Amino acid sequence: MNVSGGGGHKKGPKKVRGKKMSTRVDLTAMVDLGFLLITFFMLATTFNKPKTMEVNKPAKEKDDDKLKEPPIKMSKTASLMLGARDKLYAYVSPDEIDATTELTIDSIDYSPNGLRKFIQRRQREVKEQWGDQDLLFVMIKPLPGSNVKNIVDVLDEMTINDVKRYAILEANDPIDSLIALKTGQKRK
Amino acid sequence: MPKVKIPRKSTAIDMTAMCDVAFLLLTFFILTTKFRPQEAVQIDIPASTAQIPIPDRDIMMFQIAPDGRLFFNLDDQPTRLKLLERLSTAYSMPFTAQQKDAFRTLENWGMDLRALPDFLSKDPATRATITQPGLNIDTTGGEHQVEDLILFSRQENNNLRIAIKGDKTTEYRYFDKLIQALQNRKVNKFNLITSARAAKE
Repeated sequence: MNVSGGGGHKKGPKKVRGKKMSTRVDLTAMVDLGFLLITFFMLATTFNKPKTMEVNKPAKEKDDDKLKEPPIKMSKTASLMLGARDKLYAYVSPDEIDATTELTIDSIDYSPNGLRKFIQRRQREVKEQWGDQDLLFVMIKPLPGSNVKNIVDVLDEMTINDVKRYAILEANDPIDSLIALKTGQKRK
Repeated sequence: MPKVKIPRKSTAIDMTAMCDVAFLLLTFFILTTKFRPQEAVQIDIPASTAQIPIPDRDIMMFQIAPDGRLFFNLDDQPTRLKLLERLSTAYSMPFTAQQKDAFRTLENWGMDLRALPDFLSKDPATRATITQPGLNIDTTGGEHQVEDLILFSRQENNNLRIAIKGDKTTEYRYFDKLIQALQNRKVNKFNLITSARAAKE
């Protein structure tokens, strides 16, 4: 800094003068780093977000409500019973049970080949019989031993196959207890 | 013919403005990122094709560990304080200012409500080392602790959405107990938290 003006400094024969350096810095590397971090934070914020799946349970009904509603035709339904150890039993309850009734119970798995095929088959059958595949009503009956993944898988399959009507119910049908008994699953 | 000489320009450009923009954006993203809260228990969520992202605010979250232990979390700190006030009167448990402050920042906890004051008195480092036993969902003692939590929280903030985060391997019987408690409090709609997955064809 030279504020005294005019005269200057006369200190020695040779003045050591600091080399004037440019104040400009190459910012390229800094910008690179900046954008790298931006990318990281952008990805971290969007990818970390879990998704949710909405579940609607039927409201707990009082006993007198039960009498008012007519029961659904069983031929419009499909039942899925979720058991322990990733077991899944699928069946269609007959409309009326008598001595000659035959019931097929399929033991299927959660893969597209198992569960999805079953649902799609039922959708076709309901469409043939009732004219509209959206009339299919899927009853999902988890047993205590099944796990959350099983339920999520089944609910997911409902969305994938566009099943309009389904419900999570208790496995308290006589057929359910029969299956549970035959397959050694705990029902309570 | 005279040759047109193109003046040679330097290829170096002024990076200052670009640098400013980059760091401005960086600051924005850093500030808006929410880091995952400390988990009381490790939960491995199942995957689904559901596309609805979880809402940012007003969430009441229940976590169910593989062994059935149940944990509770409210995201909103003022609501947490109001909830504690309600619990304090309902269970006639007085809380000190210190305990209240500890509860305000407490994420994901699960224990019998009676054990709560004692737990809140401990310092955060000790709290992290304790294995929490899970909420008391058993109603045989006449107390409906989980139902009260649901009821009070919803009364203090009626926009609350209920989310359930269950581990893949959590058995349905634990899940069902929670759903029964929710339904007893007339909550018939709730969200299951899953991670994203593409549909297999």
